[in-house]
Amino acid sequence: MTKSSPGFFKLVFDRVRRVTYRQLPFQALFEIFQGVLESNNRALEIITDMGEKLGGDYLFDIHYVKEAYSKLSAALAVSIRKFDLLTSGKYSLLHEVYSRIDKQISNTIYDLPLTSGKRVAFYEDITWDMRREVGGKNAGLSDLKNILKVNVPPGFAVTTYAFDEFVRYNGLNEKIDALGKDAVMSEAELDKLHSMIINAEIPPELDRDIDAALKRLMAGCGGYCRLAVRSSGEEEDGEISFSGQFDTLLNVPSAADKFKDAYKKVVASLFSIHAITYQRSFGYRIGKLKMAVGCMAMVDAASSGVIYSVNPGGDRETMMINSVWGLGRTVVEGKADADLYIVRKGVNPEVIHEKRGGKNSMEVNAAEGGTLTVDTPDVLKGRPSLTAGQVRELAIQALFIEKYFRKPQDIEWAIDKSGNIYILQSRQLRAGESKRDSVSGAPPVEPKTVLMKGKGIVVQKGVGAGRVFIINNGDELGHFPKGAVLVARHDSSHFVRLMPYVSAIITDTGTPTSHMASLCREFRVPAIVNTGDATSILRHGQEITVDARDENNSVYDGIVQELVGHAYSDSPEMESVYEYRKKRYVLRYISPLNLIDPTVDDFAPEGCKTIHDILRFMHEKSITEIIDRAEHGVNLNGRIAFKLELPIPADILVVDIGGGLEPAGDLSKKHIGRRDTVTVERITSIPLKAVIKGMLYPGAWHSETIPLGMNDLITSMTRMSDIVSESRTKVFHNVAIASKEYVNLNMKFGYHFNILDCYCSENARNNHIYFRFAGGATDILKRSRRVKLIAEVLKAYGFSLWTKGDLLVARLANMKRDEMEDILNRLGRLIAYIRKLDALLRDDSSIERYAKRFLEGNYDLK
Amino acid sequence: MDGYRIMIIDDEKIVGDMAKMALEKEGYLVETFMNAEPALERLKAVKFDVVVTDFKMKGIDGMEVLKRVKSLYPGTKVIMITAFANLDTAIEALRGDVYDFFPKPVKIKELKASIQRALKKA
Repeated sequence: MTKSSPGFFKLVFDRVRRVTYRQLPFQALFEIFQGVLESNNRALEIITDMGEKLGGDYLFDIHYVKEAYSKLSAALAVSIRKFDLLTSGKYSLLHEVYSRIDKQISNTIYDLPLTSGKRVAFYEDITWDMRREVGGKNAGLSDLKNILKVNVPPGFAVTTYAFDEFVRYNGLNEKIDALGKDAVMSEAELDKLHSMIINAEIPPELDRDIDAALKRLMAGCGGYCRLAVRSSGEEEDGEISFSGQFDTLLNVPSAADKFKDAYKKVVASLFSIHAITYQRSFGYRIGKLKMAVGCMAMVDAASSGVIYSVNPGGDRETMMINSVWGLGRTVVEGKADADLYIVRKGVNPEVIHEKRGGKNSMEVNAAEGGTLTVDTPDVLKGRPSLTAGQVRELAIQALFIEKYFRKPQDIEWAIDKSGNIYILQSRQLRAGESKRDSVSGAPPVEPKTVLMKGKGIVVQKGVGAGRVFIINNGDELGHFPKGAVLVARHDSSHFVRLMPYVSAIITDTGTPTSHMASLCREFRVPAIVNTGDATSILRHGQEITVDARDENNSVYDGIVQELVGHAYSDSPEMESVYEYRKKRYVLRYISPLNLIDPTVDDFAPEGCKTIHDILRFMHEKSITEIIDRAEHGVNLNGRIAFKLELPIPADILVVDIGGGLEPAGDLSKKHIGRRDTVTVERITSIPLKAVIKGMLYPGAWHSETIPLGMNDLITSMTRMSDIVSESRTKVFHNVAIASKEYVNLNMKFGYHFNILDCYCSENARNNHIYFRFAGGATDILKRSRRVKLIAEVLKAYGFSLWTKGDLLVARLANMKRDEMEDILNRLGRLIAYIRKLDALLRDDSSIERYAKRFLEGNYDLK
Repeated sequence: MDGYRIMIIDDEKIVGDMAKMALEKEGYLVETFMNAEPALERLKAVKFDVVVTDFKMKGIDGMEVLKRVKSLYPGTKVIMITAFANLDTAIEALRGDVYDFFPKPVKIKELKASIQRALKKA
């Protein structure tokens, strides 16, 4: 009983609280809403600053990180408190999510261990925030599988949490800690530690979890497969390669005990003399590095090899593919006389040089487990180990992976006997990147036609080149060609689905703190926002090179090869400083944006993985809440509604909740209109004024009667009863709730409804337009046509849309004030124009005709 | 810039490591220390052209480092960096014989430029 009491009290408390909040006057709610936006913005500014200071261009220390994060926490605390008030505490789960993220951040700052408590994680379940737990190699493979949808063999990771458990269970911690203290541990002592690990026992919980994982893996492989058991150190395959430092065991039988032996062998390899020496040379504190292990279904390879996505000889425009028959270890270890292909990169990769290797011997899976080297059968010896098609396909995949990671890649691959290509690993390629090369920084650029110079704000540094693809509306996202440069009027978080394929992004408007900007940083897509007029300067299909290495960015006509070659040199030098990488890691929990699309299920407190996600969630839900409140049961607390004096019969009442109308005192002094009416000139609400001006635009509002067809008449009569019953409960006026920067306009004309909710301020990040349209008197066909017409027009203005039958919901956000006003004005014209238009939409072709006319400024109905 | 000796003293490893990486790329010979005692010992043996030191450190602090460096090598330039930037510390530092003063986080480009100027003057 006692256990359930707190829950009960919480329930009662929540109820009471909810009732109290519901009674808050709209103005008070609105002020809270503004408070959320304000503290959200403060938080976003801090995040942007942290991104800059931790970006490799500044010397910073832990004081800075602590101080910045404490400022961020303070801003966030205010935001969450106000958000709770606004939403009546209905997203209380957010607190839990925040405290989890906060813990991860604090642990990172104070260098405490991080764990999700999972011992085993399948690749499909690994998310970026588990990177440290699953180790670099496993994390990289899960990125390939989950984000890039590359074909990776099925498998799972045994985490560093399991490693810790294993070490503790067997009392190995002291021995390992001693490693860090001793300047040199003798080889004999290391050998002893090694054999202690080999003979150690797997803790019972881990034992159980491994058994279950193996079962699941087998089920996924059609019942049986051999395993590749591979090291995945905490830092492995990150900026420091660790290549070849730890053990990999191939073709391990899937019996649980065999796997567990292999696991221990891989763990033990962390403490080999050469691995310890390697760690020391890169400034690691010995004994601190933890080992996760990867377990992957073994590919029964017909051929295998390695791709260097840039030619290590220095030619960045070509890549190198090495290939042998059978397994690829001999290539990795540099022992094989492999086939060599040099491929020119591009949309259609082309082999420019080919050398047939001897391939006298090959490595194959042994029946009893492990691998063995055999003589290559004569029939294979002289033949190339890849077909032309396979070379091409490998090259395309490599380009794709390289583009995503934004760094030259060293990729291991295998092709099974049915011809399926598998990617086994991809890591940053270190070769061909001399120190001096990056010292000289800017390579000389041949004089080229400069299309744009120094315009806008660079939100992600880098170089990108490709064909211009201008995006006018969301529908075009689906047609975006891989590798193109995205050019758009406004920035949008909807671009996220293109991020892996985009060479660069340029927008006319936008801010460095927008969601898109943070996505660009996350995906390392070079991006320039707020250029003003990129969409009119750059031509669709034109080849360009975007040089955004610093603020004096330039956009050149054509592909500037010298620059493209440097696309990867975005401050790689700092990446090799271990302390830097470790401290910067905190950003992982702060700046990436995972919550993109408010219409998907993931858009919930549980979906928040970073501070940025929480801010995004609160922003979105605050807007929804305020729209919802304005629409249903507003408590206006005795505020006077003024009737708007208009030359059209729009019948609008304005309720001022702060700065929406010129003060009443002034009104009476000037004796303008009656005391309970107000003229358009007296509107001080920026968005309301804009939309009303649009409605009054010459020619937009039509007063003439449009004859209804017989069908329409019948529909309108049956729909009448709905309207009448509604009119009994609702005030029969159109209502605008307005403040200086906000309006919620609820209008019914005849049988259709327009709801407009808009925030329009100097801060583009706060601004949004929400527009909903529904209903009509004519038959559903015509009503749907009208909605399609509205959709056509709004799409052209850059809205994102959702429609169903005669219902339309459109949204637009993050635009500058003057642009917002312009669009609101056009929206006002549209609201006026379409009032009776449905009756004229007799066939589908009329949709396009009227939409086109409207967009051209021709508001004639005939 | 090849051959000039730069010493970095900061009790946080990250500052020294990042500065070393950035400055070695310019061709400087860089040595880093996490506290002042061994740094001053080293200075007795070898002359450095520029010393970049944290202002606030446990034990011997930045002002003391400045004094000792100047008594050993009057020509060596000292650049002070600090996490606790306020007017008083800046004034105190600049009143002494400090060549330049930066609050942390320090833009690496600016530190490099300051070192370059210091070496030209020397």
